[in-house]
Amino acid sequence: MATVATDYTNKVKVTDEVAEFPESVVEEMRSHLTKYPKDRSRSALIPLLFVIQRERGYIDNPGVNFLAQFLNLEVTDIWETATFYSMFNMHPVGKYHIQMCKTLSCKILGEPELTDHICSKLGIKPGETTKDGKFTVTRVECLGSCGTAPMMQIGFEYHENLTKEKLDDLIDSLE
Amino acid sequence: MAEELIKVTIDGQEFEVEKGRPLIDVINEKGFGVPSFCYYADLELQASCRMCLVRIEKMPKLQASCVIRCTDGMEVTTKSEEIEKAQRAMGEFLLANHPLDCPVCDRGGECELQEVIFDWGDVEERFDEPKNAHPEKFLSPIVANDQQRCILCKRCTRVCHEWMGEDAIEAGNRGSNTVIGTYGGWLNCSQCGNCIEVCPTGTLLDGVYRHETRPWELDQTITTCTYCSDGCQLSVGSRADEVHRIVARDRYVNGINGEFLCIKGRFAHGFVNHGDRIKTPLIRYKKGGKLIPSTWDDAIAFAAERIKESKKAGVVATSRLTNETVHTLKRFADECRDGTSYAVSDTYDLAPFFENLSAPLCTHKEIRFAETIVVIGGDVDEEQPLTAKQIRQAVRNGGANLILVNDTPSRLSHQASQFIHVNPGTVEAFVLALADPSAADMAAAKMGIGRAEIDKARETANATKGDLIIMFGKELGAEAQAVAANLPSRHENRNVKLHPLAGYCNSVGASDMMPGRKPVADVVAGSDALLIAGSLSDEEFAAADLASKPFVAVQELFLTDTAAAADVVFPAASFAESDGTYTNNDGFVQRVRRAIDPVHQAKPDWMITSLLASELGADFGYSFSASAVFRSIAESHEAYEGLRYPDLKDETRPVRVKHKLVSGADVSGAVASLRDRVSQFPDAADKITEEPRVGHKLHRVTTMTGKTPQFHLLANGNPKPDDLLVSPLFQFNPDGSPKKEEESEVAAG
Repeated sequence: MATVATDYTNKVKVTDEVAEFPESVVEEMRSHLTKYPKDRSRSALIPLLFVIQRERGYIDNPGVNFLAQFLNLEVTDIWETATFYSMFNMHPVGKYHIQMCKTLSCKILGEPELTDHICSKLGIKPGETTKDGKFTVTRVECLGSCGTAPMMQIGFEYHENLTKEKLDDLIDSLE
Repeated sequence: MAEELIKVTIDGQEFEVEKGRPLIDVINEKGFGVPSFCYYADLELQASCRMCLVRIEKMPKLQASCVIRCTDGMEVTTKSEEIEKAQRAMGEFLLANHPLDCPVCDRGGECELQEVIFDWGDVEERFDEPKNAHPEKFLSPIVANDQQRCILCKRCTRVCHEWMGEDAIEAGNRGSNTVIGTYGGWLNCSQCGNCIEVCPTGTLLDGVYRHETRPWELDQTITTCTYCSDGCQLSVGSRADEVHRIVARDRYVNGINGEFLCIKGRFAHGFVNHGDRIKTPLIRYKKGGKLIPSTWDDAIAFAAERIKESKKAGVVATSRLTNETVHTLKRFADECRDGTSYAVSDTYDLAPFFENLSAPLCTHKEIRFAETIVVIGGDVDEEQPLTAKQIRQAVRNGGANLILVNDTPSRLSHQASQFIHVNPGTVEAFVLALADPSAADMAAAKMGIGRAEIDKARETANATKGDLIIMFGKELGAEAQAVAANLPSRHENRNVKLHPLAGYCNSVGASDMMPGRKPVADVVAGSDALLIAGSLSDEEFAAADLASKPFVAVQELFLTDTAAAADVVFPAASFAESDGTYTNNDGFVQRVRRAIDPVHQAKPDWMITSLLASELGADFGYSFSASAVFRSIAESHEAYEGLRYPDLKDETRPVRVKHKLVSGADVSGAVASLRDRVSQFPDAADKITEEPRVGHKLHRVTTMTGKTPQFHLLANGNPKPDDLLVSPLFQFNPDGSPKKEEESEVAAG
């Protein structure tokens, strides 16, 4: 039996379009560069990817092109780094990005049932986004809060000691 | 390199080796043999495949011998039960995600993974978890990709970065999901195919050769590339008189280029068996009439008759022909009719360079280990890819200084320690500045750079203790070439070497074979009967007005403009169908070997010329054997004296031509006229800041490359198809526009 892996980046239409950012954001990016030696500017790639993700919602093609010019890298270098880390989204995500921790403690304490519950409630599968673009559910590696398992992260916010009821309340409360 | 010698014991035998060499190299050199995938000589170390494990005394665990450097007193065991067990276990891990679809894999039969697993593997698989599956797909028109066969040795990503400087292919995702690929799934690079060559599995595959034959059915013939002047050694894979693929895989051939080839050398072989090849001799009996198929006897007799009738004959050779052909053409001009003039059609004439040559030509190996490299003009990345790779490795791995003088930025200029960006068309001024310091200020002003840049370059050159290599491209006119060739004699205490970036595979050889040649235009204008071997360049053809000549005979592969304007056309054999030699820009004379019989009625060029000569009453003393022609070459050209055809057999030990060195030649005349020329350059100009697209010259569709359909797509912007699983040739027209549905169905069916 074989599982067919989907590589989302194969579906990216690569264009020459370069993202534009307000001066304040570019200034912030430059401030990241100052933390590293001058000839090692590519070290700033990860902090800058976070900026791109915050500004554009995900690591999109114009954003990648911008970084390639900003750091004098090839787009493939950026692709290599960005796909290595699960925190970077290479495709669009919903307004609320629900990241269910799937590592040991959470899994033992019922993460699979919780994920199934939330997915059936929203009518999507893990890795998908609801049609209204509001929610995305993904299963991610350990978020480092095993003491309060099962837990999840929405955006950068932790929600701990989850139960089905808690989840329902939480999702209903999100606009 | 004088290195300290130390003692290393391998399996109980003691050896003296250079200190600091990679242990794996020593083990393999001494014949012990250790399997490896990720190790690749002269690339950055990776140590990810863990196959080259050995036991070293006093080290706690088994060590990967690729990352161990030899130290004194090292005691190494390469064979033991412990090591074999570890290697078998590694083999099993490598196969955990491998589909083992060898029977349908193009690499099957010459796959390193297959070989090592057969030798070392425990073929019994214990993993019953599902394997990652990826569909086979195309990364570009000529690179096919089967991700699931990958063992993540990352040779491809390293050659892309270190050899080509492109970073076009990288490893994405993480852990067991890691795949080799690109952003967007489409390769927009120079398409050199070196990633295919170094791949130890069937992950990256030749899209031109895809599913044509199995590798073991091919006859491998070692020969020399017919494109640029680097003279890469390659292996032509042929079966039943058809060329199927070209590789440089070093189990078949190991020449100056190792496993390196560029897109043209590797993929542009479609012209050899193309249906448009001229099949029989053609004769135009009457001006204004048609070219009519004929027999060899008639065509030779007809041409000889017309040449006899003419008042003055002329011979034009091209620099893609073998030495044998150009030499025979020269003899044709000398011995058949008095006063026959001759010329070589080339991008530029190297005569002024070789007349003033004051230092030896440098070899590609010397470029790799040079200390300072000065490249004046040219476009090395696009026109001499092997030279570019050697420069890149010299800079990256050897810490060489690279001074690049050019009017256009290129990939290489990012790596230059000093990129002197001059005004368009003024690179000659840099030669003047080096030769005549008093003119440096004027030259700097014309080039649009500061005087300090020239002084800095001069300082770097003066401080060089190792090899200083000066390369120059076609921008240099006759005076500048002469001055450049004379530059080394001004630096007597230094190891200066020269490297002309010549245009074609035998530019250097053609220049050697035809001393005293005239410009093509003069020969064409001054003769009423012409024998042209090959085709004139577009500019030469436009100026020549061949239709108005009383008689023109052409030896060609295809009915080009030149051939179509001829009165007699002889079908010539391509490089894959004839024997001979090319002389590359190292000065190496390298063999061209017949891989297949000449197609249709073609004959090797030199044979056609000598047939014509014997009809005209001249006997050259050879009619069938290229070695006999080479003997005649060795007798008549000083630089080739003493060379013997059998000595050229081994491509791992290339033989060099002895070009005459002129030291202390007076080039003040050339310097003065160069100064005049430079002083007439415009004072101000806009610099070219835009870097041309990668492959702007490599992907150009020419008579030869255009016969490989993939080149049309690359030249037309390399569009990404919607469906990556189907060859782009089925989805696009040659001009790059998408095919309509019904059309593509017809094409696919």
